[in-house]
Amino acid sequence: MDLLTTSVATPESDTEPYTLVALDGEADVTNCNALREVLEAEVAKQPSTLIIDLSLLRFMDSSALHVILRANRTMDRQGGVLALAAPRDPVAKMLRLTAADQLLPVYASVDEATAG
Amino acid sequence: MPSDLLPSRSQSLPVPTGDAMYQHTYRTDLSQVRALVLQHAREAGLTEARANDLVLAVSEVAANTLRHTQASGTLSFWRDENEVICEIRDGGTITDPMAGRRRPAADATGGHGLWLVRQVCDLVELDSGASGTTIRMHMAIRTADVER
Repeated sequence: MDLLTTSVATPESDTEPYTLVALDGEADVTNCNALREVLEAEVAKQPSTLIIDLSLLRFMDSSALHVILRANRTMDRQGGVLALAAPRDPVAKMLRLTAADQLLPVYASVDEATAG
Repeated sequence: MPSDLLPSRSQSLPVPTGDAMYQHTYRTDLSQVRALVLQHAREAGLTEARANDLVLAVSEVAANTLRHTQASGTLSFWRDENEVICEIRDGGTITDPMAGRRRPAADATGGHGLWLVRQVCDLVELDSGASGTTIRMHMAIRTADVER
């Protein structure tokens, strides 16, 4: 089984359409290039909102965070929003310590993220 | 900066008392490194949150082995009634004496690893030279940890 699996969806939405990237497993230096490819491909489609669902992510290191921060920069430039949803405690703490939670919105759930 | 204000670069760290209770050589299997640290930290009596702090710290240091060296690294693990120590030893060299001591810019896309290590651990010892780097991460076992 892969250490990290990603799945991409563009759910039907009553309000604004958004892209949902769900991460499952552990994101670290050994798989952050794969994560980068997935995020870059979605960011390139210029969605107005890209939500990364972290609810099944058990671990994230600084390499994976940097991939997300780079995607966030590009989304910013394009006038879109990248949001994180449902981080587990260890991931939430890491986002806090790096102050990444000051750079991009972090929501308790995907529902809250879509409500914006 | 006067050289005596720089951290010791040449002498190696004093060895913790007792033999390392566990040693593990790793290269790309960081997930296994994390699982081992989590298991030992829990057994030593750290709370889940502090066990996960130690997992993050060790994983960040072990990731540097992959990034900056061509060889494997060694994880050693000690514990006594007061603390848990995880040590990562590899062939890399850290030349910046301030490594991890300054908060990276919020939007920096590098340099968070050692910063995180220093944030979550109770004590971090670092010894680096031409022959390699040893980083020892200490987590105190607090009374509150054991009682929980």
